[in-house]
Amino acid sequence: MTTTTTPTPQGSPTVFQERAGLRRTVDTIRTSALPILIVLVFIIASITVPQFFTVETIRAILLATSVTGIIAAGMTAVTLSGNLFSLGVTASVVLSGVVYLWTGSMTGNIFFAAFAAIVTAVLVGLVQGYIVGLGLNPVVVTLGAGAIIYGATAIVTGGEVVAASSNSLGVFATFSVFGVPLPVIVLVVFTAVAWYLTEHTTIGRNLHLLGSNKNTARNSGISPMGVTIWAFLAFSVGIGVAAVLQVSQTLQVQADNFGELTMNVVAAVLVGGTAVTGGDGSPVKSVIGALFIATITQIMVLVSIPQGVRYFVLGVVVVGLVVILHLLRKASSR
Amino acid sequence: MDATTPYRLEATGISKSYGAISALTDVEIALKPGEVMALLGENGAGKSTIVKIISGLIVPDQGTIKIDGEEVQLHTVNASQAAGIAVVQQEFSTVGTLSVAENLALGQRGAPWWWGPRKLNQAATGILARVGLDDLDPNTLVENLSVAEMQLLEIARVLARDAKIVIFDEPTAALSDREIERVLSVVKRLAAEGRSIIYVTHRLGEVFEIADQVVIFRNGRSHPPQPVGELTVDKVVTMMIGRELGDLYPDRSAGMGDVVLEAKGLKVAGLRGEVDLQLRRGEILGLTGQLGSGTTDILKAIAGTGDVAAGTIELDGTPIEVGGRRHGIAMGIAYCSPDRKKDGIFGGISIRRNLSSPWLKRVSNLGFVNAKKEADEAASSAAQFAIDRSRMQALVGNLSGGNQQKVAVGKWLGIRPRVLLVEEPTRGVDVGARAEIYAQLRQLSDSGVGVIVSSSDTNEVLGLSDTVATYYRGAQTAKKPANQWTEPELVREVMHREE
Repeated sequence: MTTTTTPTPQGSPTVFQERAGLRRTVDTIRTSALPILIVLVFIIASITVPQFFTVETIRAILLATSVTGIIAAGMTAVTLSGNLFSLGVTASVVLSGVVYLWTGSMTGNIFFAAFAAIVTAVLVGLVQGYIVGLGLNPVVVTLGAGAIIYGATAIVTGGEVVAASSNSLGVFATFSVFGVPLPVIVLVVFTAVAWYLTEHTTIGRNLHLLGSNKNTARNSGISPMGVTIWAFLAFSVGIGVAAVLQVSQTLQVQADNFGELTMNVVAAVLVGGTAVTGGDGSPVKSVIGALFIATITQIMVLVSIPQGVRYFVLGVVVVGLVVILHLLRKASSR
Repeated sequence: MDATTPYRLEATGISKSYGAISALTDVEIALKPGEVMALLGENGAGKSTIVKIISGLIVPDQGTIKIDGEEVQLHTVNASQAAGIAVVQQEFSTVGTLSVAENLALGQRGAPWWWGPRKLNQAATGILARVGLDDLDPNTLVENLSVAEMQLLEIARVLARDAKIVIFDEPTAALSDREIERVLSVVKRLAAEGRSIIYVTHRLGEVFEIADQVVIFRNGRSHPPQPVGELTVDKVVTMMIGRELGDLYPDRSAGMGDVVLEAKGLKVAGLRGEVDLQLRRGEILGLTGQLGSGTTDILKAIAGTGDVAAGTIELDGTPIEVGGRRHGIAMGIAYCSPDRKKDGIFGGISIRRNLSSPWLKRVSNLGFVNAKKEADEAASSAAQFAIDRSRMQALVGNLSGGNQQKVAVGKWLGIRPRVLLVEEPTRGVDVGARAEIYAQLRQLSDSGVGVIVSSSDTNEVLGLSDTVATYYRGAQTAKKPANQWTEPELVREVMHREE
């Protein structure tokens, strides 16, 4: 055979091994920085902010995290696949929320109402996924879709507040198991499933591959359209579930509610450390990002910082963290 | 040019290395005003590295560059431009949606931002006349120009800067004969104006037409400049090759079997006529030609990504549909693109997951990946291609060019390919990894996989293949068993067609 005449296969050692150590250190910092930061913030806030380390506060943080976290975990699929973000989060949540309250009020069956809300979110999301899959810019498509959904909801509800017919529609938010509120359990389960699916299924893998390099993905037989639609499906399920949990807490919804939700979800994904360009990240990271944002917000609420200043501080913190993460990622890849 | 004329550009002792690989060693270039110097050499010989150094894109490790006798530091593109150097790039730097006149004003001094279309057009007309584009309306959008016109416009942009030294990096690679004439006459005119020209090309005909001096590069070293009058085509080719086919390549095929792949009357965009192609089991077929020769289009068509207008492709005697990579992979056709960074690897993904990307479905059950099966198969692919198995989690983007290429080829083992199409199998790959890749291609061929290699490196094609076919501007020009070619003959066949 011919192989015996080959020169010895000596892989060129070169720069790779020297840099590998440094790269690993940077990687460790990159993945563990946010959890450490959250713990630090918790400790400092517990000491300095009265009423922070109480059951009510922690419950409030976790409830806030559950809504943003579930959507952020779903959004991670879109971001991973290289399709940036969906900017129509708020409008879709409101629409699904309206569907939940209406169906629930009409039928009195909260499970059927939740199902209807999720189906609505999925239908709306799949249309967007298809259009994005055709190659249109996801930011433009979802921004436009958000405006259309918002407008449609406002027209259908006449701009009025849609309220629950009875408090029983809020059971999803008030129910708890051994003191753990149901939304938090849903968050944990949803995140775990999302993580498992992105890491251990062909579709999840293809999300990473498509986001890493669209051209190579195509050459490897991966369909950008198919993968993009799957990404939007995952995202939409998150929207539907989160919408049900959200309106179960408020028991009412109006077309212009939840204005800050879209930005909070995008910020959660970014702060969590998923690459904007796709191919690298995890739903778990995004949920941790959501936890961070909810914590900071709650602390500011407790020390009575006015809303404008809260937005300002949150914005500065998010941009700062994203810049640091970006620099670390650059350092770890060469 | 008499001996007393001082040099316009003098580069001495230029060296540049990347890690353990040296790209240039002790290169000398000396150029007088009004002279045309041609740089020749195979791919990777160092031509483009020296061009990049002179144009300020790369900082050399060693060496000095003098312009008009004064030492200069060309560490940035701006420094290079300020020193009077202009580069006509192979890739176009014009903006398609702007007019010809606006493109000429882009990035130029002497075109204030408040100038309106009339002023810009006036300024443009003069420059356009100098590159033979007198009858071109300066209002034309650049995207509506022909390739040749764009190339001439590219030259015009450089002229607008009034450079002392003009570097042409393969300006005629994508042009037809008549269009080439236009470019060459512009080059001659520039030299006659007293500018110094550095002209990088693959086409020997052009060299003998316009060059005063020739510098030949081989393995990062340069031969001293030679006056073109003292050279012949044979001499140039020998200097370019300068080595025998060595141990780099595995033994040739032990014996060929029946036909694996047959293309009949294939008509593809980018090809002039119909192409017939036949590949036997145990045979490595090598296709070679310059940029635009059509070899890429043929392989893409077979792979399923090109537009096939007519013709049939048969695998093991059965005609197959051509349509999309997905289908191609299902049929057992593996395809490695010429540009691995662009569409051959996933840089931000681990080696293992790169290797498994085309055949993930096969190691999955109902969409769930069987991690152990995947790891085992990826490990065996890695072992076969001599990829370090302790690094399976490393990101492919961080590997050396050679290891990246092994991943780009090795990932196809898992689809159990019937045909493997490889473009530029060792572009930017160090010698050790090259030998490993060649050996694996041969072994795959021996094991019954049909292998077609397309490469612009004639040495590689000749050393690796059993049959070599040459292509020129979209048509096959010759096809012979490899042992009936000599390398000079092959180089001439590929480069020398215009005579």
